[in-house]
Amino acid sequence: MRHAVRLLVLAFVGLVVLPAGSAAATTTHVSQADDRPVVRVGTEGVYPPFSFHDAKTDKLTGFDIEVIKAVAKKAGWRLEFVETTFDAIFTALEARRIDVIANQVTFNPERDAKYGLGTTYTYSRGVIVVKKGTKGIKTLKDIKGKTAAESITTSWADVARKAGAKIQAVEGFSQAAALVVQGRADLLINDNIAALDYLNTTGKDDIEIVGNAGDEVSEQVLAFRKGDPRLEESNKALAELKADGTLAKISEKYFKTDVTVENAGDVDVSGGRAARSDTEVIQDAAWPMLKKALLVTIPITIISFAFGLILAVAAALARISGSRVLSAIAKAYISIIRGTPLLVQLFIIFLGLPEVGIKFSPWTSAILALSLNVGGYAAEVVRSAILSVPKGQFEAASTVGMGYWQTYRRIIFPQAARTAVPPLSNTLISLLKDTSLLAVVTVTELTRQAQFAAANSSAYLPLYCVAALYYWVMCVGLSSVQGRLETRLNRFVAR
Amino acid sequence: MTDIQQTNDMGNLRVRARGIHKSFGDHHVLRGIDLDVAAGSTSVLIGPSGSGKTTILRSLNVLERPDSGTIRIDHVEVDFGTLPDKGASARQQIAALRAQSGMVFQAHNLFPHKTVIQNVIEGPVQVQKRPLDEAVDEAKALLDQVGLSDKADQYPFQLSGGQQQRVGIARALALKPQVMLFDEPTSALDPELVGEVLSVIKDLAAEGWTTVLVTHEIRFAEHVADQVLFLDEGVVVERGTSAQVIGDPREERTQQFLKRILDPA
Repeated sequence: MRHAVRLLVLAFVGLVVLPAGSAAATTTHVSQADDRPVVRVGTEGVYPPFSFHDAKTDKLTGFDIEVIKAVAKKAGWRLEFVETTFDAIFTALEARRIDVIANQVTFNPERDAKYGLGTTYTYSRGVIVVKKGTKGIKTLKDIKGKTAAESITTSWADVARKAGAKIQAVEGFSQAAALVVQGRADLLINDNIAALDYLNTTGKDDIEIVGNAGDEVSEQVLAFRKGDPRLEESNKALAELKADGTLAKISEKYFKTDVTVENAGDVDVSGGRAARSDTEVIQDAAWPMLKKALLVTIPITIISFAFGLILAVAAALARISGSRVLSAIAKAYISIIRGTPLLVQLFIIFLGLPEVGIKFSPWTSAILALSLNVGGYAAEVVRSAILSVPKGQFEAASTVGMGYWQTYRRIIFPQAARTAVPPLSNTLISLLKDTSLLAVVTVTELTRQAQFAAANSSAYLPLYCVAALYYWVMCVGLSSVQGRLETRLNRFVAR
Repeated sequence: MTDIQQTNDMGNLRVRARGIHKSFGDHHVLRGIDLDVAAGSTSVLIGPSGSGKTTILRSLNVLERPDSGTIRIDHVEVDFGTLPDKGASARQQIAALRAQSGMVFQAHNLFPHKTVIQNVIEGPVQVQKRPLDEAVDEAKALLDQVGLSDKADQYPFQLSGGQQQRVGIARALALKPQVMLFDEPTSALDPELVGEVLSVIKDLAAEGWTTVLVTHEIRFAEHVADQVLFLDEGVVVERGTSAQVIGDPREERTQQFLKRILDPA
């Protein structure tokens, strides 16, 4: 019993402290280590042409990315980019996971009251986009009662909502476009530049821009927390960049016009990224996705499974211990983990805990959540496997003089493993696939990488088939390991 | 039943148990058992099932923890009446007493995931921390002694019941205990395999091992025992030499039991 307590403590220390060292892997360092203050930039990475991954190099780039880099150069900051969905981006700002949002945040009075909004660096119009051939939707007046696909916390969603449309929540522009193309939503409202870029780069003509979403010009700004002195630094930098023509140059590069001033000419994104065939999309995305599978999905799976197993063994031993307190703690733990969705657990750990001052890096959050999850599911497997070992084995171990740990390590676990391996393999395979949820804690793993590529091309079917193939191959590999392990563990059993 | 003198020095005694009580819930299994075993002698416990004979044997190895009473084996004595429920001191005392005896189970309880020789060296190497090559040499000699030198690298499931039980004996012997405890070592065996196990036990007794044996093999007990104890309902009903207790029992309960077991039907 006292051993079980020690093990529990060790397991938690291990979970929290050890993976912290790997946290740095999640953020992109823009420059070498130096003395400049670090500013963490929140951005979607899936919102071309403002924030996206270059199809060839997989590097984060885009209009907003270049603007914030130029600002950082003037202001003397070192940048770290944190990629997350737009709907999580303001939460991340408040939770101090990021310091500034560079993602075409549209100015409005509500946001102005809550956040430190900078000077305008993009002027644009909202447009209504529908499936080609849709009749009867031209202006905001026509969308009452229709379904609009939007990221729910965007200003475009507000526009649609005020015009009486129902909101279909999505994660990012390309998903919204896909819903409109598939007829699952009637329309979307977004920045005209984003819409033009979609038409240009996907080479698709199945959606069309039918009109402006109101007459107002919308202004996009950088968003800081209220009272952050870096807001003033960025405003000063932007003013200088405007004066020396840098902003205009960046804009010309992407849009053939200067969107950083009011009443610019028509945006032309045709010179940007060319449309690619599905084959080219796959060729470009296959290696980056494989890299994420090898460097993120697999390591996180292995680390989480190892910690999860420790937790599972601790919980199982606690339940067997005969101590009412330990057993109750283990029971509650198992019940909570199995009774709540992993996604909710991830949100609580990554976004919720910072509100009470407990903040883990994305990798630590991911590993913590997954380990706790695996521990909860595997605990009962481990417990029943231990109980399947005959009582006589415990007695024989006592008789030869073994203590608690020696008995478990040398006599009980090797025998329990035989019973536990098949169900634990199921847990491991589920875990591998559950890592696809980690996009919400800004860990870019295989699925998130596929989303990046999809946002760039809208080639959903081929890209997600490639992702599925990778997952399947990994699972087949695990199953074959399971087979070998079972053969080995069965060597001492009569057949 | 208190015809045994209370002595502070053990004299020729290897095992001395006094006033052992044990209950499982409401069931009072041992009601004040005294047991003396002389060094180098063989004691046999007989009695109907539920009489407490297995429980007293398991108490000597502290697989069951007596509620009260003292047990002394060689120089190690534990008073279970005053032993704390838990804590390091209690664990150490129990471990020290347990180390004095080697246990052979009815259902052998060999470690199925270890080979025969690994079973035998597990205690010496892992618990007693003796050098591996020394332990292996001794284990080979022990396996030779129980007639299994050719089975060293087999797994238990590849052996017959009698062979498994003999490995169990070698495993207990390897710890060099002060007393060997046998808990119905032949009860789970097919009749034709009983002889090979009994012959090993007989050899051990002849070699001078101190032995306590629970068995239903009355004829074997009569042959090998220096002392026979008949237990019923948690008390020692009769004790003496095998000639006294088995050959000429005084107590009625002993007579009935022996009659039942020797002339069934």
